[in-house]
Amino acid sequence: MTSQVLDTSTMKPQYPWKKSRPTVVIANSLIVVIPMSVYAFFFFFTDLPGALIFIAIFLPIQIAMAVIMTIVALGKRRVGDAVLSVLSVTAFSLVLALLGSVLLSVAARGLPAMRFSFLTQNNIYISPTTELTYGGVGHALLGTLTVVAIGTVIAVPLGIASAIYITDMKGRLAGFVRFIVQAMSGVPSIVAGLFILAAFILTDFVGFSALTGGLAYAILMLPTVARTSEEVLKLVPKELRDAATALGSSRARVIMRIVLPTAKAGIITAVILGVARVVGETAPLLLTTSNTNGTNLNPFKDPVSTIPVYIFQFLGSGYESSIQRAWGAAFVLMLVVGILFGLARVLSPKGKAR
Amino acid sequence: MGCLPIVNQEFLRIKPFSQTKVIRFLNDKNVVETQEITNKSHPEPIRLGREKSRTPSDKAFSGTIVIAALSSLAILVAILIYLASSSWPVLQKEGLDFITGSTWVNSSANPEEQTFQIWPMLYGTFLNSMLALVIAVPVSILLAIFIVFIAPDRLSRTLTVLVDVLAAIPSGIIGLWGFLVFTPVAEGWSKLLNQYFFLIPFFRNDQDQFARSPFIAGWVLAIMITPIITVVAREVLSQTPQELLDAARGLGGSLWGAVKFVALPHARGGIVGGVMLGLGRALGETIAIYFVLNLIFEKVNYFQILNPQGGAIASMIVAKFGEATPDEIRALLGAGLILFLMTLVVNLIANWIVARSVREKIA
Amino acid sequence: MTALHDINPTKGMKMNAMVVEDHQRLKLVDSIAHLETQGLYVWFGNRMILADINLAFPENSVTALIGPSGCGKSTFIRVLNRMHEFIPGAALAGKVFYEGRDIYDKDVDPVDIRTQVGMVFQKPNPFPTMSIKDNVLSGLRLAQIPFTNPDEIVESCLMKASLWNETKDRLNASAQSLSGGQQQRLCIARALAVNPKVLLMDEPCSALDPGSTRHIEETIREISKDMTVVIVTHNMQQALRVSDYTAFFLALDGNPGQIVEAGLTQQVFKNAKDSRTHDYVNGLFG
Repeated sequence: MTSQVLDTSTMKPQYPWKKSRPTVVIANSLIVVIPMSVYAFFFFFTDLPGALIFIAIFLPIQIAMAVIMTIVALGKRRVGDAVLSVLSVTAFSLVLALLGSVLLSVAARGLPAMRFSFLTQNNIYISPTTELTYGGVGHALLGTLTVVAIGTVIAVPLGIASAIYITDMKGRLAGFVRFIVQAMSGVPSIVAGLFILAAFILTDFVGFSALTGGLAYAILMLPTVARTSEEVLKLVPKELRDAATALGSSRARVIMRIVLPTAKAGIITAVILGVARVVGETAPLLLTTSNTNGTNLNPFKDPVSTIPVYIFQFLGSGYESSIQRAWGAAFVLMLVVGILFGLARVLSPKGKAR
Repeated sequence: MGCLPIVNQEFLRIKPFSQTKVIRFLNDKNVVETQEITNKSHPEPIRLGREKSRTPSDKAFSGTIVIAALSSLAILVAILIYLASSSWPVLQKEGLDFITGSTWVNSSANPEEQTFQIWPMLYGTFLNSMLALVIAVPVSILLAIFIVFIAPDRLSRTLTVLVDVLAAIPSGIIGLWGFLVFTPVAEGWSKLLNQYFFLIPFFRNDQDQFARSPFIAGWVLAIMITPIITVVAREVLSQTPQELLDAARGLGGSLWGAVKFVALPHARGGIVGGVMLGLGRALGETIAIYFVLNLIFEKVNYFQILNPQGGAIASMIVAKFGEATPDEIRALLGAGLILFLMTLVVNLIANWIVARSVREKIA
Repeated sequence: MTALHDINPTKGMKMNAMVVEDHQRLKLVDSIAHLETQGLYVWFGNRMILADINLAFPENSVTALIGPSGCGKSTFIRVLNRMHEFIPGAALAGKVFYEGRDIYDKDVDPVDIRTQVGMVFQKPNPFPTMSIKDNVLSGLRLAQIPFTNPDEIVESCLMKASLWNETKDRLNASAQSLSGGQQQRLCIARALAVNPKVLLMDEPCSALDPGSTRHIEETIREISKDMTVVIVTHNMQQALRVSDYTAFFLALDGNPGQIVEAGLTQQVFKNAKDSRTHDYVNGLFG
């Protein structure tokens, strides 16, 4: 039997399901156009506030239009789909509008304050009437850096150790430790601050300082570092560990020399995410580092300024100039968070940079 | 495949590990006696335990890891102990009134006459969080459904990243924005609600002032926790088994049908976990609502959410901390303890629900 | 040369068996069968998966689709109920006629098609969060078909799927409490509840024990009195036992899948016209 190759080069892939019927196209347009026209009418020709028109007129009409048009064009079965679409797009728009507003406000109001001096000077000679070209967040940046550094130094080894315990050592208490770490991630930031306050400051062990702030931050960072590290360590293939053990490595060596280095990128990501989580926390710092306008280079003694507290301080003072400074600090903080996030994503393109 | 050597058939059968046979034999006294003999056909297996560390350096390593891992437990316990013990004098003095009463009097001159009771703050925390959930939960779930099922691929991926970033916005910045940008807008909404819905007790306002109300605080909290819930919900929904969605579609289900009957039931546990996570965050939030809510320490605002009168435990702690008398600080620590216990319970319930739903799926 | 044969006039519809020797496009002489593809080409992205598939499924018959793994049989049946389009990058050309209308016509509602052309998948997939009873009714609820007699429907569908006796006492138990074979029969009952006129089955018994396979084959024989069944199978004996017609798919070295031979099952198995068919059904490859 002969078998010739079929000449299929003339056939082109088609997508028949993507063709729209005219009825559907018209219906979709009406669903958008009619409610918007009604909204515009009420908005421009009556005194009613926009929000009211939106909730009381636009949304109901849009839902009604969606239902009616769907029944007309596609049949009763698809009504659920249509309503779901309208509602979910509304939710999407709401979230985008509100959170977008946060980001835009920070950018718009904080950017004008950005200049090199803002980033380096402190506020020791600043009063509410001082011009905005003087003063800055220098001391707060330094403080934040110090506090975060102390927190990291404490939380990272403990967090990684916990992760190692859970994944590689599989102690009998592994499940329990996991549970505890999970519970710890729910500790409110203010409680962490209160604890350090009660245990160290009120007992006169240490005073308000960057150190106590770092301790509070450590409590908050530990669960994040531990959990992310655990996920990363789990990704290291079992074969790698087996190979090392078969070659005669002790368990310690296997973990320190093989597993950890393999997971290096992921663990760094875990650390970065841990930092990102805490860098904006205000409450614990209010109770532990207190605040100051000058630069304090001693992390073990005397209050230190930090960016979140800086924002708090200037927001609370009420003067116009102070508010501007607060926005500036907010911008710096968002930049820091953004950079950290970007770093985390760059370092783990496949992993979870969450 | 070579030839099998010809062997005794006995060898090819695996005998049971032990066989008990009864044999009869002549004992010394020449009497027939029966005896049971237990014949083991192969030696007892040595149960290999987990490899224990042998060298001192290994032991040191293990020891270090164990201690470090248990540090979390130590910290958790330490928090409880310190908060409890520091605040004990005040708690003991107030008794149950600490959480049910509404008086707060501090005085450095007359310490014995001080009273510290947190019910208005406790209720306020609860009210704010409930308002936040009412707003955030539907919006988050709808947004998650949108990202997973409705949005085109590119948009879906962008939104996933965007929501992750939004979840990382520090609460101080949300508080800043909430007070300076959002409050005027929300005031307008409050006035509208009051104008048109005054028949409902919720929306009555007896002070003609609409700023710094639980309504606004609830909105700010909602804005803060929506990304958190959305991230979790999106993750869980995207893990709905494709085969179940196929089955639903194959039976003639529309998209909404597949979501309603398959995706949402499957994701239920995870979504509840996410909601609880958001709730825990809302309960403990301090700064986001500090400027946005007017704290009234001795009167409870039960349901007039448009009134500029509310409570939040965490904000109270920060508010009173600066000028607190020594006993007052103990009271604040006690309040922190109560807050901690609340969030602990919420966290534990969340974990239990999530773990149970995971178990159900594996079963 | 194309050979057109008039087969089994007692079936009421004439089926055209074709032997594609030099792959000419088939011309159908008789009216269009219950379900039929004409000149079907299927792509994933730029890769052509199936080429020039012309296959007709007469009403109330059972057709088996056989062929080695990977030649596109599963893709083919997903084209028949418009599930193919869910896969990103999916494309097709050609026509698929159901009851005389091209189901890819732009006026046709795909959801409608899927209620009339049902599908049973390879891996049993009952809805785990629902009870047995709710699973059977789930198809009706999903398709938004109103019903007034749930208990009757549940009983009748479970009976047809040979599952009633094993489950009649525990209709409210979770679907997960059933064994694999029982779950698959539950999926069949669920598909039957919607009252389709065509049932597509993608290797429904491949993961099951012989007992369940037997039950399911009985079910197929029963239901084929009232509906058209298309079953993809790797099991030659099953095809022989269960089907009236058989189509043999083959994809050679990177070429798209095509139909080598199709016709009465007895014919294809005992008296194949193409040597490749003969080799395959006798287990010489595949």
